[in-house]
Amino acid sequence: MTAVASQALPVGTTRGRVGAAVLLSGLTIGLLVAVVISAGHGQLAIPPVEVLGSVLHRLGLDVGPLPTHPQGDNTLWEVRFPRVTMGALVGASLATAGALMQGIFGNPLAEPGVVGVSSGAAVAAGAVIVFDVAFVGTWTAPVAAFVGGLATTLLVYVLSRDAGRTEVVTLVLTGVALNAMTSAGLAFLMFLGDTQAREEIVFWTLGSLNGSRWEYVAVVAPLAFGGILFAGLLARKLDLLALGDRAARHVGVDVERLRLTAIVLVAVLTAAAVSFCGVIAFVGLVVPHLIRMVAGPGHRLLVPASALGGALLVVLADLWARTAVAYADLPIGMLTSLVGGPFFFWLLRRARRTAGGWA
Amino acid sequence: MSQHARAVRLLSAGLLALALSACGLGSAQEASSSDGRSGAAGAAPDLASATPLADPRDWSGPSTAVIEDPEVRPVADDPSPHLPVTVTDAQGTKVTITDTSRILALDIYGTLSRTVFELGLGDRVVGRDISTQFAEAKGLPLVTRGGHDLNAEAILALDPTVILTDTSLGPWDVVLQMRDAGIPVVVLDSHRGLDNVGSLTRSVAEALGVPQAGRKLAQRTETEVDRVRQQIDKVTPRALADKLRTVFLYVRGKSGIYYMFGEGSGADSLINALGAYDVADEIDWSGMRPVTDEGIIAAQPDVVLMMTDGLESAGGVDGLLERLPALAQTPAGENHRFVDMSDSEILGYGPLTAQVLNALAVAIYAPEAVS
Amino acid sequence: MSAPRPPGSGAHLVARSVGVQIDGAEILGGVDLEVRAGEVVALVGPNGAGKSTLLSALAGDVVPTTGTVELDGRPVRDWAVRALARERAVLLQKQGLAFGFRVEDVVRMGRAPWHRTPRQEADDEVVTAALLRADIATLAERLFPTLSGGEQARASFARILAQETPVLLLDEPTAALDIRHQEALLTACRDLADTGCAVVVVLHDLTLAAAYAHRVCLLASGRVRADGPPATVLTATLLSDVYEHPVEVLDHPNGPVVVPVRHGHLSAARRSLQAEEVS
Repeated sequence: MTAVASQALPVGTTRGRVGAAVLLSGLTIGLLVAVVISAGHGQLAIPPVEVLGSVLHRLGLDVGPLPTHPQGDNTLWEVRFPRVTMGALVGASLATAGALMQGIFGNPLAEPGVVGVSSGAAVAAGAVIVFDVAFVGTWTAPVAAFVGGLATTLLVYVLSRDAGRTEVVTLVLTGVALNAMTSAGLAFLMFLGDTQAREEIVFWTLGSLNGSRWEYVAVVAPLAFGGILFAGLLARKLDLLALGDRAARHVGVDVERLRLTAIVLVAVLTAAAVSFCGVIAFVGLVVPHLIRMVAGPGHRLLVPASALGGALLVVLADLWARTAVAYADLPIGMLTSLVGGPFFFWLLRRARRTAGGWA
Repeated sequence: MSQHARAVRLLSAGLLALALSACGLGSAQEASSSDGRSGAAGAAPDLASATPLADPRDWSGPSTAVIEDPEVRPVADDPSPHLPVTVTDAQGTKVTITDTSRILALDIYGTLSRTVFELGLGDRVVGRDISTQFAEAKGLPLVTRGGHDLNAEAILALDPTVILTDTSLGPWDVVLQMRDAGIPVVVLDSHRGLDNVGSLTRSVAEALGVPQAGRKLAQRTETEVDRVRQQIDKVTPRALADKLRTVFLYVRGKSGIYYMFGEGSGADSLINALGAYDVADEIDWSGMRPVTDEGIIAAQPDVVLMMTDGLESAGGVDGLLERLPALAQTPAGENHRFVDMSDSEILGYGPLTAQVLNALAVAIYAPEAVS
Repeated sequence: MSAPRPPGSGAHLVARSVGVQIDGAEILGGVDLEVRAGEVVALVGPNGAGKSTLLSALAGDVVPTTGTVELDGRPVRDWAVRALARERAVLLQKQGLAFGFRVEDVVRMGRAPWHRTPRQEADDEVVTAALLRADIATLAERLFPTLSGGEQARASFARILAQETPVLLLDEPTAALDIRHQEALLTACRDLADTGCAVVVVLHDLTLAAAYAHRVCLLASGRVRADGPPATVLTATLLSDVYEHPVEVLDHPNGPVVVPVRHGHLSAARRSLQAEEVS
């Protein structure tokens, strides 16, 4: 085509890189601040300077005052810190899983909670509790959640894709059907289960970080970090997938393998989030969306920024959940759904408008 | 997800919450009739001094079982615990207790805290669960807001040196966190029934280093229970067919869902001790499960046992019968034979077992005495 | 645009008696086609003749039921996906994009096969050149989904150019373009062929095919009806037969012009006259 007068084009991504650096460091700082604030607040009042002192002492520095409350140090290290850490890990996992799902479905409404993957994972994990199976110790629930999540993700994939496309209406209806099925599964498990099992299942459906322990953090952390890292490696290919299956293959993407890898990753990340903390919906929907609005759809930035943003969101939501009412824990899943639900409706309306219908 | 799916989810969450409060005690009940003494009904006299009905079926109208003298009667005045003590708890965990100066005893019916008080260690208890409603403990800070939910930071804030609990409160992870924090946690048998009142009492006492007081309290409780049971035996019909067909129903709120308590729930033991006929046992009903309308009609109970706050939340006897027409199709419904008792007492067992049995027996067999 | 490989190293795409059946229906049958380096081959034919299916088979998207497609002597299906992407680029009829990437990002996606190879050094340069060549540089910052159909087609063409492959397969690339951009795109195809590329382009506009293709392959009902230089394939008799519509081919200094016979433009008088003649 006739060349436009050889003007200097803004080709290159210098500006993009600067923007990315600003976004990522902004989110990192935000997360750190949120973690510090969160670590300093709780039902047991410990002044920030004592929190700092406690941390410094554990790091081997004899600086600052230790908590004056006799159980202050224990509260921080056995209750609050594992909980905050767990919140960050779960948020990061969910947001990354959301970004991944949206990438492989080419559909901004895909999310583990919305399409029923989280509840699928919860049913499987609930089953091992009710039937009192413990084949791999602390890892039993996560392994079951992974299998349940994987099965559900594959099911969503098979059911909602038609001729290489995932239509919004099919995806949403698949989610309705799957959520109905998993609700039934959970109800049945509750019927079978004893008091304690029932309580744990309720705990899952509402989602809560209460009761997070280092032992569980140790299980979730490798899954979350591994999953996020791997998701980062897929980022470039996920960008290409936006062209559509055929065009992606034409530029060298092994589409089927990419899809399968991504689905396994979604299952791993969802399992990481669900196995100890239950269904915390909409994090995977809201966070990647906000990031896309700010930074565009490129997955190389979207994946790490979503991970950070998800961690930030859940840490803040949990801070609210455990301090809003004295001595009580609001279910965090309820809080995220309260915010995420309206957001989802807004997205749905917008998707209808821009797509000119339900397609 | 569509509105529909959310609705389904919300609905199921509602059911779950209901199921949960069936297993635990709901949170809202605390204020209403907390000590079970707010009703018009009077306290039950000793069964021996009351005049029983000639035919226990020959009565209509509800009655409330109220304990006459619910004060704590410590078996010892400030016993000095022998510490440290190492016990193997109900889960097989070896726990060493070195300090009992700050005790937390938490379970779903408040039995453990009552036991600690009766052992004479009440002044060392630093907090309570929601079912611990007796006057001596009521001023203590609550660590289970929400009925069933243990709050880790709320517990740690009280700086307990030993925690006694069972598996009836959750999340279980919070109990584990307490162990992580270095606080000895003794897990006791969560079964409540006549068969283990003594052993449960002794286990609590052993864990607190006062085994002697424990034996004393267990002995006292068992003696009292034996006495009450003998008296009950005198007023109950001999023939199986004449015994009152009885069910324990758990109703909460106005949703129209109700649970029947069966084998292992504590209600089975209670009904047997009261000399009544356990319908749940007849149909092999175990645990705490929702019962259907037709199921309750088929059961044809003569008497329905309930928790006071549960009955109140359903709108009293009239509200309940209006809401659950199936119940009206039973002898108990026709005669309004609902016997209720405070949520924190009726299934608690422990040191109050004899008083609970006496109050219920009076309400069932000599209702005139409390009307 | 720099030459993807030295002229003469000869990309070579061959279809041998290719047949494609979908759900038992024969879409293509016994198709032989050879495309050599330095050639622009136009695939023409009526709707449903099998042009897009043949292009898919050449691209490796569709595995032929019978026969083989070979690229540089190796069956296309044996090529690794990424290696194949360095040899041939494909422009599909429909361009979709799931997310709001900028035009420049989309064009840069064409560079994906060269990621982590020495040639990625040239990414910025190649992308700039492709944007200019496809006349989409001024819209480089715009979001792809906000562009008009023709602009999207040009942006996608720029992506194909950026892929720098010796073989290009284009399915109706001019459908959404205005006259200026149609001419420019096909000129670019000729230029690529001159640097040693092999270009296959599906076209509906037979005059465009006549003007820019070295060879024209005329498909009808899944079979090759004619294959050769435009002048020998684009004859009034053959086209009228294949398209089932009378067609005139006019001579013009720039090459043959294919014009359908248009009844609608005849005067009412002549139409009634014709009607009388027929009866």
